[in-house]
Amino acid sequence: MNNKKSIFSRFYVVLCLAFFYLPILVTMIFSFNSSKSLTKLTGFSLRWYRELLNNVEVSKAVYVSVTIAILATVISTVLGTITAIGLSKSRKVVRELVLNVNNLPILNPDIVTAISLMLLFSSLGMRKGYWTMLLAHIAFCTPYVITSVYPKVRSLDPNLANAAMDLGATPLQAMTKVILPMIKEGVFAGALLAFTMSFDDFVISYFVSGNGVKNISIVVYNMTKRINPTINALSTIVIVVIILVLVLANVLPVLLAKTKKRNRRVERGITILVVAALTVGLIRWGHVANGSHVLKIYNAGEYIDLGLLEKFEQEFDCTVIYETFESNEMMYTKLASGEEYDILVPSDYMIERLIKEEYLQALNWNKIPNAKNLMEEVMNKSYDPGNRYGCPYFWGTVGILYDTTVVDPEDLKDGWELLRNEKYKGNLYMYDSERDSFMIALKALGYSMNTTDESEIQEAYEWLIQQRDSMEPIYAGDDVIDNMISGNKALAVVYSGDASYIISENPQLDYLTPDQGTNIWTDAMVITKDCSEVDLAHEFINFMMDEENALSNTIEVGYTSPIESAYDEMIHGDYEGISAYIPEIDNPKSEFFGYQEPKIKQKYAELWTKVKAK
Amino acid sequence: MRKSEKNAVWMVLPLYLFTLVFVAGPLLYVAALSFAKPNEGYGVTWSFTLENYKRILEPVYLSTFAGSFRLAVTSTLAICLIGYPFGYFMAKSPKKTKKRAMLLLMAPFWVNSLIRLYGWIIILQKKGILNWILRKLGLIEKPLSILYSYPAIVIGMVYVLLPFMALSVFSSAEKMDWSLVEAARDLGASGFRAFWTVTFPLTLPGLLSGVILTFIPSMGLFFIADILGGNKIVLVGSLIQEQMTRGSNWAFASALAMVLMILTTLIILLYRKVSNVKELEEMR
Repeated sequence: MNNKKSIFSRFYVVLCLAFFYLPILVTMIFSFNSSKSLTKLTGFSLRWYRELLNNVEVSKAVYVSVTIAILATVISTVLGTITAIGLSKSRKVVRELVLNVNNLPILNPDIVTAISLMLLFSSLGMRKGYWTMLLAHIAFCTPYVITSVYPKVRSLDPNLANAAMDLGATPLQAMTKVILPMIKEGVFAGALLAFTMSFDDFVISYFVSGNGVKNISIVVYNMTKRINPTINALSTIVIVVIILVLVLANVLPVLLAKTKKRNRRVERGITILVVAALTVGLIRWGHVANGSHVLKIYNAGEYIDLGLLEKFEQEFDCTVIYETFESNEMMYTKLASGEEYDILVPSDYMIERLIKEEYLQALNWNKIPNAKNLMEEVMNKSYDPGNRYGCPYFWGTVGILYDTTVVDPEDLKDGWELLRNEKYKGNLYMYDSERDSFMIALKALGYSMNTTDESEIQEAYEWLIQQRDSMEPIYAGDDVIDNMISGNKALAVVYSGDASYIISENPQLDYLTPDQGTNIWTDAMVITKDCSEVDLAHEFINFMMDEENALSNTIEVGYTSPIESAYDEMIHGDYEGISAYIPEIDNPKSEFFGYQEPKIKQKYAELWTKVKAK
Repeated sequence: MRKSEKNAVWMVLPLYLFTLVFVAGPLLYVAALSFAKPNEGYGVTWSFTLENYKRILEPVYLSTFAGSFRLAVTSTLAICLIGYPFGYFMAKSPKKTKKRAMLLLMAPFWVNSLIRLYGWIIILQKKGILNWILRKLGLIEKPLSILYSYPAIVIGMVYVLLPFMALSVFSSAEKMDWSLVEAARDLGASGFRAFWTVTFPLTLPGLLSGVILTFIPSMGLFFIADILGGNKIVLVGSLIQEQMTRGSNWAFASALAMVLMILTTLIILLYRKVSNVKELEEMR
């Protein structure tokens, strides 16, 4: 009778464990896939491992994650253990108070701890980076140590320490020789917990770090927006390391037990060796690629041929710290919160705002001789008359990407209203950007996308709400690219450049620029006011305007180049026949985004949050 | 005696200061910010206003709280149903199996949770493994769009938080005196009855602390909604993140965080009342 039961319970445990390991197994299998696809296995290859090893961002992140976890564990274990011992001897009031406050980070959702620490660091004027991350990790790990050590301490006989001291031990000896061995288990459990929490943390690290310091979680979070099999390779390596550590941890004590006599010495020797090797390795790793000059660039995600950065680093013997943002608004927030960058690549309306709020410095066009390669159509626009601050990077429009095998050509006449055609319910991606979404609604209603008229804005808001409820769209980011390539949905709002790239990969799709008018945009490189490498920054801009570099950039990204020769080469070469690459700019109803007064901006932001929150 | 008390003060002092600065300090600062007036654009003006809290009462934000709560309840229920038997069976199994299962349960913790969630993208996508299996089994004809949907978020929540429940139930079931169950059986109780009247009440503290350990985080794990739910704002956590990173309205974000904190505190007080314990079940 019992047998049946135990088979069932075993089966259940195995099933649950399988649930834990399924996603890990899947990533491991796909890490050896020869193609980028996450749906089909095309053959065995080590391609993603090579890419992973060449990815400086990932190796830096591993360094950050590991060192922070080790440091935070050591410090919080010492701090927590001392406190736990101290607490057991303190008065009840103190004890209750400390324990209660101490428990807050355990009991609060991570995000509360995260933003409170972030706000504290910025109010203290601390530069966000490695140290802020470490402090935050110590702050949330210590409580875990205390909760596991304290019960053990409490169960000790309070007279033990006194007895030891009566027998002549110093307080330190009493502590290390008597108390510590008895609470060893709790201390060890606490340290393990602290290490796990720190190593796995995302939410808190995401808010308190900055200036190019990222741990594994943050890098993976940024990567999940696009198909990226290097994550799979990373996952496999992590698993292998864990298995090795676990095997070592289980086998070593057995081996050591055999050589009982030298047990302690060997144990100590091995520990010292391991720690030393680890420290040396980590220090060396931390010093990877440290040129004398450092250029910090902040660009939109998936918006550059990364090979160009390496080329630039080699040509100018410098280090580029490259970070990406998801939206102009996000970039602004980072900048306003005191992050320092040398070069930014924002959109027109954001540049106008940055100029007005004096975040930028004027370009010295004499230092950018390649400016002669720029085409006239993109220069001297209202957001930056005379191009005093910005050097165009890419340009284009916003439109609708549609699946020609699904969408009825008749329906295309409706322009933006196509996005409210219930035939395509649940088959649509909107873009997760307040300005673009409101632009669509305002254009569909026949208004200017720069309107400040409250009733027009309200109407547009209702249009979006109606669309949300009747169409059930997904508000996507860069993930739209891979999803449209693999044909997951029939309609998507995209930038023309993404459309060109997607169509070149999936010719079933086409791009529509609605007759009601759309947003014509330019993204441009600008130099910040606090830029510490002004000359190098100009060199970088000049480098990107080089005809050959501009061509490889536009080929990689798919966006329309402002460089005449690259543009010509594309429309007669790779992208021949792809209309999305040639922005339609002659429709008088199309506009540039203009600067928004903060009050209006906030209004839009608030309404957009309401559209997205259901 | 006096001497040891004095020593104790010196021992607690470093952490006490640290706690003050890095735990209580930020929370007090957030509390203060929640009453400040957000500047148009960026930053705040210090003043005393209840505007931020009034804003939370707008139907959209209230429904975000309600939705978040609903999602947390759904996930926690699922986690209880799956995790309780898991922890219980694990505690009951032979020592060797127990140790192995424990190790297997802990190991994935060290694989970053974001990496593991990425595995779910591969499984749940339209042309992914799950749809493939369901189709091969003839259960569906058209592939399901699970990724970027509500069920996908619930799966992600269950996946990330289930170990906490399992461990919590496990440690309380392990401490249990099994001879009590035997006694009940000897006295003629059926297997189910013995479980219901003896085992369940004795493992209840583990279950309850598991509920706390899963319910509270689930309100804030915005990245799960982000990665598996397609950027929709379904959690209070997502709303706070949106306000911090894009809206740059720190005052409103602080007010949201305060309300979230008050809610969780209330839940914990309720838990303490129900379970009659002061501290969470010790995690191992």
